[in-house]
Amino acid sequence: MKGTLRNLINVIRREIRLMRQRPIYLISSVAVMAFCSVFFLTFLRDGQPKDLPVGIVDYDNSSVSRNFTRQLDATRTCTTIHFGSFQEAREAMQTGRISAFCVIPHNMAEDIQANRRPTFTYYVNTLYFVSGTFAYKSIMTMVNLTGGAIKREVLRARGTGDSAILGRIQPIVIDSHQIGNATADYSVYLNNVMLPGILELSIILVLIYSLGAELKYGTSRHLLEKSGGSMATALAGKLIPYTVLFWAIGIFTDLLLYHWCHFPLAGSIWNMFLGTMIFVLACEAVAITILGFLPVLRDAISIGAIYSVLAFSLTGFTFPVESMPPYIQGLAAAFPLRHFYLFYVKEAIFGSGFAGWHTEAVHLLLFLFLPLLSIHRLKQSYILQNFPKK
Amino acid sequence: MRKIFSFIRQWCSDFYAIMTNELKMIFSDNGVLVVFFLAGLAYPIIYNLIYSNGSIDDMPIAVVDMSESAESREFIRKLDATREVEVVSRCTDIYEAEALMQQRKIKGIVMFPEDYDEKLARMEQAVISTYADMSSFLYYKNLTMAVNYVMLDQSKDIQLARYAAAGYTGETGIQIVEALPYEENLPYNRTFSYSIFFLSAALMIVLQQTMFYGVSMLAGTMREENRSFAVMPEHLKGRGISRTVLGRGSAYWMIYIILGVYVACLIPYIFGLPQRGQFKDIFTLLMFYIPSCVMFSFAFSSIIRRRETVFVLFLFFSPLCLFLTGFSWPMESFPAAWKYFAYIFPSTFAARGFINLNTAGADLYMIHDQITALSVQTVIYYILSCIAIFIENKVIKTRQ
Repeated sequence: MKGTLRNLINVIRREIRLMRQRPIYLISSVAVMAFCSVFFLTFLRDGQPKDLPVGIVDYDNSSVSRNFTRQLDATRTCTTIHFGSFQEAREAMQTGRISAFCVIPHNMAEDIQANRRPTFTYYVNTLYFVSGTFAYKSIMTMVNLTGGAIKREVLRARGTGDSAILGRIQPIVIDSHQIGNATADYSVYLNNVMLPGILELSIILVLIYSLGAELKYGTSRHLLEKSGGSMATALAGKLIPYTVLFWAIGIFTDLLLYHWCHFPLAGSIWNMFLGTMIFVLACEAVAITILGFLPVLRDAISIGAIYSVLAFSLTGFTFPVESMPPYIQGLAAAFPLRHFYLFYVKEAIFGSGFAGWHTEAVHLLLFLFLPLLSIHRLKQSYILQNFPKK
Repeated sequence: MRKIFSFIRQWCSDFYAIMTNELKMIFSDNGVLVVFFLAGLAYPIIYNLIYSNGSIDDMPIAVVDMSESAESREFIRKLDATREVEVVSRCTDIYEAEALMQQRKIKGIVMFPEDYDEKLARMEQAVISTYADMSSFLYYKNLTMAVNYVMLDQSKDIQLARYAAAGYTGETGIQIVEALPYEENLPYNRTFSYSIFFLSAALMIVLQQTMFYGVSMLAGTMREENRSFAVMPEHLKGRGISRTVLGRGSAYWMIYIILGVYVACLIPYIFGLPQRGQFKDIFTLLMFYIPSCVMFSFAFSSIIRRRETVFVLFLFFSPLCLFLTGFSWPMESFPAAWKYFAYIFPSTFAARGFINLNTAGADLYMIHDQITALSVQTVIYYILSCIAIFIENKVIKTRQ
């Protein structure tokens, strides 16, 4: 027992020396996470897009149409640009310069006065998702408000009181609540999953590289020698420094999101720490499994890369998994990020605590059994070094 | 004169030799083939399968109807009939609905207060509360759109009835209720389909990223074996940098122009994505995009020392580049620093150009800004990769 412990400490020392000698380990974990955190948090800092360019083709040129334009311009979301003709506005939309445009028909104000019901037309570019939906919402609201203002004038002229007018113009009001993200902040929505996704990518690649480099540079026998011939000690010794490192990064990310950036968190931050720590372990298990099945560094790292990029899509935080084809839905379960996302939804959005997310924790822990399938193969290749290095 | 001819002949034969040598190396390296062909061919297919449905239809929601009136029941019936949502459960109170939401059986709640019908009867404003699960923005979008559509439709009916009661019947009523009718057009993507907007950007990213990883893997391998690609053929005596860069580049160009046609034309055709652009226009865009990617990959692969490090160090750029195309978060809202940062990557311009050409049906003239930017990038990265080779040659010589 004492011998094992000494061996373990030897392996850990050896690993820390390797990490110090080759900067790649710290760059691709600490620096990558730091860069991505800065990138995504500043990139989306507005939360909701503002000043989206919306074209106006004003064939009417009356006080009503100018008022509409001013009102739309005054919203947080839109800023208006004038176009002389439909053709010009269409071309601007086709080149992606404007998110939407409105066509105000000839004699609109006059036709409204004369009860001829002119048709107001708008076009939205839905190829750019966020700008499209926000511009769409703003224009639709503004058109309805303009219609309401006209109705109010008509009703006032006919002698209806202001309080009675409101009930007539807008009989139903919608009071909307966004659970877990009250302001519909895009940054909150994306960063909560993007940053753990980058963490997963970093863990898988760094661990495959670290374990695979022993094979590529033929140092695996030296490693086993240090660990007294025990694969378990060797693996534990190699993993402990990385686990500590990634736990620290994961906890720092949680603190960054929920403590310093004040992202909404219905549950407790301690539970988030716990979930992140289990998530890190599950990712490590995936890395070991991939390398065990394919003990050639260059191939394993390509597979690891393809796997961790796919995780972003199959997590289902952008496009929900339940709307994917059935055979893809099953595949989604093979990614730790998917389970971490479900855990996050339960803890951070609904605050349902252990009772809510314990199944997700179990799913993440199940990943820890995966390496058992391939560890024997990895040990053989560490001893025999019988796989091609190039 | 003869000197010029012999120079041209020599140039061409060197160029050809370097190109064939590069092709030989590409096709004898399994790892690079996996990245170029397995990833390059399979990613577009996988993404198409993942996003084949494009939109969420009949998202499950719950209603809490405290008023139990004819008006609220009509609203619920209409809500159920929308494409966006389906009413899967009717709860007696908000706590029951909340529990269902926590179990993720429903993605939204619509609640009618007790006085809903009374307020309508009294011609006051009635309030409906909605609660959306914000774990995905698509849930929020679906709930908001469905409730808004039905609200507007119901409002119209209620208003017509009220004006009729006040004596404004028939055409007069409609004239007040809908003084300004509107018509909406969502020309390129009617249903807000996720697949159309995601794939158009992702397809261009796949080309750039697979090329960058492949080129860097090859460059790293050669540097590990101390036979850097920067070492030029002996007889050139240190000159001929352009031959080396262009010769190697054309090898990748040939492979990627084929992959590019597959990704940009064949994939949309197979999976029924919109193809509003003309083939010749899209091909022209590729003719500018691929050289830009090649030179970009050469310039940045010069910092790769070992084969596998490219993935470990640079894989996170794939999701980053995707966001930098502005396909999701609009380019107008980028912070200034990141807007300029995006200009580093050819994919930023190519994705814009491709979306506009292929999905919005623009013509080549309309994307001239993107084409110009890609050309500028090609020239800059060409010069950078020449400088990198020059420096590396110097370093290798001094080491010897």
